[in-house]
Amino acid sequence: MAIVELEKVTRVYTLGKAEVHALRGVTFAIEKGDFATIIGPSGSGKSTILNLIGCIDQPTEGKVIINGKPTQGLTDKVLTTLRHETLGFIFQSFNLIPVLNVYENIEFPLLLGRNKMSKKETKEWIEYLVESVGLIERLDHKSNELSGGQRQRVAVARALVTRPEIVLADEPTGNLDSKTGQSIIELMKKMNADLNTTFIFSTHDATIMDIADHVIRLLDGLVVENSKNRVRAGGLS
Amino acid sequence: MIALKIAFRNISRQKKRSFLLAGAIAFGMLVITLLNALSGGVVENIRVNFSHALGGHIFIMGREFSGEGRMIHKIRPDQRLDQLLDENAASIRGFSKRSQAVPSLIFGSKQTMHLLYGVDFEEEDQLLESLAVTAGSLSGVSREGNALILPKPVGERLGVEPGETVLVKLETLSGQQNVGEFKVKAFIEDQEQFGLSAAYANRSYLNDLLGIGSQEYQMLNMFVADLSRLDDLTRVFREGLKSPEELEESKFEELEEEEALLEVSVGGVPLDPMMGGEEIKPWEGTRYQVMSLNQIMEPVELMVGVLNQVGLVIFLILLSVTMVGITNTFRMIMIERIREIGTMRAFGMQRREIKRIFLLEAFFLGLLGSAGGILLTALLAFILSKIRFGADPALQFFLRQGQITFSFSAASILINTALVLVISLIAAYWPARASAKLPPVEALSSHT
Ligand SMILES: Nc1ncnc2c1ncn2[C@@H]1O[C@H](COP(=O)(O)OP(=O)(O)OP(=O)(O)O)[C@@H](O)[C@H]1O
Ligand SMILES: [Mg+2]
Repeated sequence: MAIVELEKVTRVYTLGKAEVHALRGVTFAIEKGDFATIIGPSGSGKSTILNLIGCIDQPTEGKVIINGKPTQGLTDKVLTTLRHETLGFIFQSFNLIPVLNVYENIEFPLLLGRNKMSKKETKEWIEYLVESVGLIERLDHKSNELSGGQRQRVAVARALVTRPEIVLADEPTGNLDSKTGQSIIELMKKMNADLNTTFIFSTHDATIMDIADHVIRLLDGLVVENSKNRVRAGGLS
Repeated sequence: MIALKIAFRNISRQKKRSFLLAGAIAFGMLVITLLNALSGGVVENIRVNFSHALGGHIFIMGREFSGEGRMIHKIRPDQRLDQLLDENAASIRGFSKRSQAVPSLIFGSKQTMHLLYGVDFEEEDQLLESLAVTAGSLSGVSREGNALILPKPVGERLGVEPGETVLVKLETLSGQQNVGEFKVKAFIEDQEQFGLSAAYANRSYLNDLLGIGSQEYQMLNMFVADLSRLDDLTRVFREGLKSPEELEESKFEELEEEEALLEVSVGGVPLDPMMGGEEIKPWEGTRYQVMSLNQIMEPVELMVGVLNQVGLVIFLILLSVTMVGITNTFRMIMIERIREIGTMRAFGMQRREIKRIFLLEAFFLGLLGSAGGILLTALLAFILSKIRFGADPALQFFLRQGQITFSFSAASILINTALVLVISLIAAYWPARASAKLPPVEALSSHT
């Protein structure tokens, strides 16, 4: 089942009189459980696509369908709720809330809506995530006391805490050295396998691309490759 | 709830900045609270000092016209008055019936003018106890008709000793010069800290010199038991002492003279300033003038009220300056935290929650400033109230035993705090709204 579908999506930015065609008719689908990557050179439209899927931006034309539901014409309030319920985010510059410690940062998305879990379940779930990302000893550290790699691990846990169906990551390794970046991608892959969460991430880095089981390659706002080869859930070997 | 936590912690992110803003608020709060408490204390002290100086809370005077049409201030023995005193005995802590004059006291070549009370020492048994004798003795004053009790400074000025005789020159009520001899019985400590420096003599003897009967007097002063009922009791006496003609007159809604003089408006009718200057038609018998401390305090309270309003204006000016500061700061904060805002929005925080974070932060800032200001005021008031002001008698009237007192009003502190909070919220409202309206994608892609 396709969890994300883009149909003939275009996105035109207007800068004064000039128009920038960031996307010129993009169509693809991503299946539930995919570990998908969007690659392409700078300016090819990767971030634009992730913003559209992330429901923080709207296409100029075409349809973006999340979980079978078209997102066009929805109000900000509904889109916000949709994001909260369906999506998790990982950012290039980590974007942890500086006044919250590791535990609170991970817990944060849970506090934005109704939490179906009991207090105890919540605690166990967060602890499980913290353990999975390997930060059990840093629980009460603030983000400025963590390294870049550690911050991104917190961000991964935070993106997963609401058990979203899709986690979006725009260049999650962009601010990390290649070894740390690799380990973050491996962590994401592990969580993808453990929780069957769909991951969609963008990268410049061709080596990282190998782990993905679905590659969408962009060039100048167009899809030039859409390959769903790869062995499902076995990308690490 | 998460908004509360984040807002609260955000305050300490830029400690210096928060400190400056809260400090500005605290300063405003300090000015207004200290001013209010100071003026409140001064009013209370003036009230207490007045009541000591004037010897009461309610003052009754009698006026009648002599055969030649001259107004004479005196009270004759009056059954109506005695009955009223009897009926309200429970509400009256004490009263005195005194005559008074400001005669020239002459001893040898020295001469001085001083307030002299004619007192019935038998009736006012507590008075003698309250006087602090420095020389001579008070025993048997009531039996020696021409005994005179002098404040020590007056005695020193005249160079007189207890046992010696001074001449007293005064004007009788009908306007003639009169001279009497008084024998100085004792010196007393001056009670100037109450604004009171008076000499005392037997009333009947003074009355003789003033040309009024020995059972007559000029002023009846009353201390009431419960100050909150002062106005009620004043009214009881004022109404109860009205002559039938006066009652008739007041039916035509003519302003009672003393009220007209002391109040700016009565029953919504503004006072015509010319009315005071009008000739008063002579009347038969005695008419009473009943005044209370509250009436005397009215101009003081009016002045203090104006002072407080000036304070409020200063406070509001300070606050509006601070308000501009808060607005600018929160605009800056919005830009500083733009990615955070984007992140929170991405994870599903609604616009109104973003707004709430900002408003709560401003609220906490206001609360912090107010609390700081109140604390600072308490500290400063404590220090100031420890200072003893010297003997300047003019100052003593505003003080209590030479010290400044402060009277804090919970209501005005609460109102001022509420004002601070409202203004903080208003100041932060526009930046808060702008932050909430930021499209998340813009907030996230911003490169600040
Ligand atoms: N807010 C905007 N206003 C105007 N043009 C924009 C805006 N955002 C993106 N663009 C343009 O749209 C095109 C696609 O941008 P996008 O950010 O999606 O590229 P990208 O593939 O993510 O690049 P990078 O690898 O550098 O992040 C670029 O030409 C960019 O200049
Ligand atoms: Mg990009």
